[in-house]
Amino acid sequence: MMPLERLLIEFLLNFVARDELNAFLRSPQNTATLIGGLIAISGALLGSFLLLRGMSLASDAISHTVLLGIVVAFLLMTRVFGLEGDTSSPWLIAGASLAGVGTVLLTELLYRSGLVRQDAALGLAFPLLFAIAVILVSRFVDDVHLDEDAVLVGEIGLAWANTNSHCFENCESVTVDEDHPAARMTRLCVNCRELGISPRDESAEFVEVCGNCGDYSPARAWSAGLLELEPALVFFPKSIAATLVMTLLTLAFVLLFYKELKLTTFDGALAQALGFRPAVMNYCLMALVSLVAVGAFDAVGSILVIAFFIIPPAAAYLLTDRLALMLLLSPLVGAAGAFFGYDLARGQVFGILPVADGIGLINRAFGLALVEAWDSSISASMVLMIFMLFLLAWVFSPRYGLISTALRRVNSRRRFADQVVLAHIRNHQGSPQAASELRIATLHVHFRWTPRRMGRVLARLRALGLIRIVNGGAVLTERGEARAQAFRRTMLGANNLPDVS
Amino acid sequence: MKATRAPSHEDRRVWLVIGGIALISLLLIPLSQALFGLRFTYTVRVVALGGAILGFISGALGCFAVLRGESLLGDALSHAALPGVAIAFLLAGRELSALLIGAGIASWLSLRFVAALLATTRIKRDTALGIVLASFFAAGIALLAYIQSIPDASQAGLDHFIFGQAAAIIESDVRLASGAGLVVLCMLALFWKEFKLVTFDAEFAGANGFRTGLINTLLSTLIVVTIVLGLQLAGVILMVGMLIAPGIAARQWTNKLEQMVILAAVFGAFTGGAGAVISALDSDIPTGPMIIVVAFILVLLSLALAPGRGILWRQLRMRANRRVFAALNTRRDLYRYALAHGAADSPVPDDFIRGVGDRSAELGLRQLQAESQATLGEAGWQLSESGIELARRDRRNQRLWALYRRYAHELSLPSVTEDREAEIASLLPADAVAKLEAKLAERADA
Repeated sequence: MMPLERLLIEFLLNFVARDELNAFLRSPQNTATLIGGLIAISGALLGSFLLLRGMSLASDAISHTVLLGIVVAFLLMTRVFGLEGDTSSPWLIAGASLAGVGTVLLTELLYRSGLVRQDAALGLAFPLLFAIAVILVSRFVDDVHLDEDAVLVGEIGLAWANTNSHCFENCESVTVDEDHPAARMTRLCVNCRELGISPRDESAEFVEVCGNCGDYSPARAWSAGLLELEPALVFFPKSIAATLVMTLLTLAFVLLFYKELKLTTFDGALAQALGFRPAVMNYCLMALVSLVAVGAFDAVGSILVIAFFIIPPAAAYLLTDRLALMLLLSPLVGAAGAFFGYDLARGQVFGILPVADGIGLINRAFGLALVEAWDSSISASMVLMIFMLFLLAWVFSPRYGLISTALRRVNSRRRFADQVVLAHIRNHQGSPQAASELRIATLHVHFRWTPRRMGRVLARLRALGLIRIVNGGAVLTERGEARAQAFRRTMLGANNLPDVS
Repeated sequence: MKATRAPSHEDRRVWLVIGGIALISLLLIPLSQALFGLRFTYTVRVVALGGAILGFISGALGCFAVLRGESLLGDALSHAALPGVAIAFLLAGRELSALLIGAGIASWLSLRFVAALLATTRIKRDTALGIVLASFFAAGIALLAYIQSIPDASQAGLDHFIFGQAAAIIESDVRLASGAGLVVLCMLALFWKEFKLVTFDAEFAGANGFRTGLINTLLSTLIVVTIVLGLQLAGVILMVGMLIAPGIAARQWTNKLEQMVILAAVFGAFTGGAGAVISALDSDIPTGPMIIVVAFILVLLSLALAPGRGILWRQLRMRANRRVFAALNTRRDLYRYALAHGAADSPVPDDFIRGVGDRSAELGLRQLQAESQATLGEAGWQLSESGIELARRDRRNQRLWALYRRYAHELSLPSVTEDREAEIASLLPADAVAKLEAKLAERADA
């Protein structure tokens, strides 16, 4: 990752000054938003295809196993190979991704045995794998990076503090040895503890020990005051590069294989017949989902990550019918959720409404004494904001939203009422029963409507200029006649009916 | 009707399994004492008892989730309980019954939320479950983080609801769980017929005037209550395993709902108790995950061993079938070759007969040899007398079937499904066979 980060920074330095970049990256909010946004983008892109394939919960299965993969790989690295346990090591990522694909295979195997339903196979597989992972964590791992809390929520809020330093100018590494002028020598009593004597005792023996010897990277050398010229340093959070690579991979996959993905998603049989190999596409997709789940583990933990896969595509699915647009909208929703999520964690909804006010309101309304300062988990808040955006899409979507659906229903009910009344009038106009059938005062009886409803419909028809009232009876105007004719033709298939008029 | 039916083979099997489980549980106590030096202190007894009771209830109710294809609904409902726990804590403090009521309300709301999403949008079921699971869980996590940020709140133990903390179960918890569980089980018994009907044929139930919507809601509510009770033990993430694993295991042993529910309850009780006892052996083994592992072992054993459905028996049956068919085909090959080269007992070169088939020739020859239907001599394979007799009967049978296919209509024979490997006399009445035999003789003359 290091050379890659360096390239990236050099690229960025063409546009911004070094100090600005450092200041930007030092802010927990910027780093967290950036990482959350990148995860949201890659998750939403892959999740869109999962949703359309009816496999949303595959991400659930994968995210649970990924934990097991990480724990096993972590234990192998630290216990067997004696490497340093680092949850962003490429070996660990590769192992855990393999485990993710493995789960999909396992559930498929369980399901193919024909003894267990598909949902039961999933419901059986993930708790088990997760349970094993939790047992392993609490039994064998004492590392802060892998405790149960990190599993749940990740450490996105701390991502800014875990950096690689990159030096661009005045890069002087310093080696401090005992002869170096800056070496701090201290005297250490070697036999005090053994003999149980105080260092002031006569028989105490001392050695000179250098307290600050060692190799200093430019960054450490500068902060220790060993350099005269300040090195041009950029501190780059480790997680950003990893998530960026992940996102670029995802983007490249979706762009390169857009046609194949689209075809295998919507018509697997046709794809197979044309020689596109839907199964290969499927496993590639699952491998990428695993990769993203592993990459996101550090930042958002192993359970919340499924929200990034499922919710933004669902919101986009409510907004559009077109795949390309969906692939554009769902990352937007995810990234917006990540952006506003940080604010929510610090107590601001959409950056304007303080949560504290809301809690205060609840306190006053119910006579409670809840603490008003709201300081919460960042990753969970990001998920909540994404969910809130989903709710907005659900309510306000122009085509599938609650409001537009309700409006459409009201409209069509209204239009239908208009049309049957018009048709009724047209049927009876000029017939012997016209007087009794078309009397305004009793018209509602023929429809078994309430008088109020009939009154509303008639008022509307009159306002539209479709009927007139003549001597307490309803009469079609010319336009009304034309409308009733059109209704007959379209709704009743007038060609098949004898003309009664 | 049920009372008059004699207990079948299957009934006995279920009782045998239950007896076996009881025996193992009884053995587990002295075994763990002797081998691992576990002392059944008051705490361990309470936890094991609590685990068994909760396991019993979730096993019984979980059957319905499994049969209705709602396993993942259980997953979503259990995750969704978390914000309820947190809010109840904020409102009422650390009172277990309040926390459970909060959990129940949240998880019930999530159930309605899923239903609303499905009713008003085109989002599919699995996506809706994923949305609810993730967002409710996130709300719970956010609330827990908020609670932890409150300086002097006695929030210790709240996060037990995430992974479960059986060790924290005390006697009053067990009493509460048994009381609530008893109510759940009573409801189950009371509405048994209705639940059974909507589970297996909701449309039929609706057509017969049962209010399926109401019954479904009641059943789902009972499942919610079960999940909420089990949360202390298994935690929100793993609860689904405790709910459905016993049901899946029990499903393998029986085809009857009554037996399945009883068996699943026993399995659940065993897993709950055994998981609690095992995790008491080492303070580093968390109880909830251990229970899930035990449950999965039970599922694996059931999948492998259950008579009839089990993978092991299926494999054995398939191997036996393969052997029988290989022998049959090889005997036919031998017979045909022998007839073409003289008499029925003329030898068939070994490399020829092996070259004809694939691995199945090898298998068939071995089987024929074992049944002394064929022997390997100097010149090759030779059918023995019994082998020739069988081959002749088989060929005759094949011919009769061929004639049946051709003349069934002409001779107005009864219509049966053709099964060429079966003895024709076992499927057709004697007079029909006689007609076919006459036909055969007639054609042999011609």
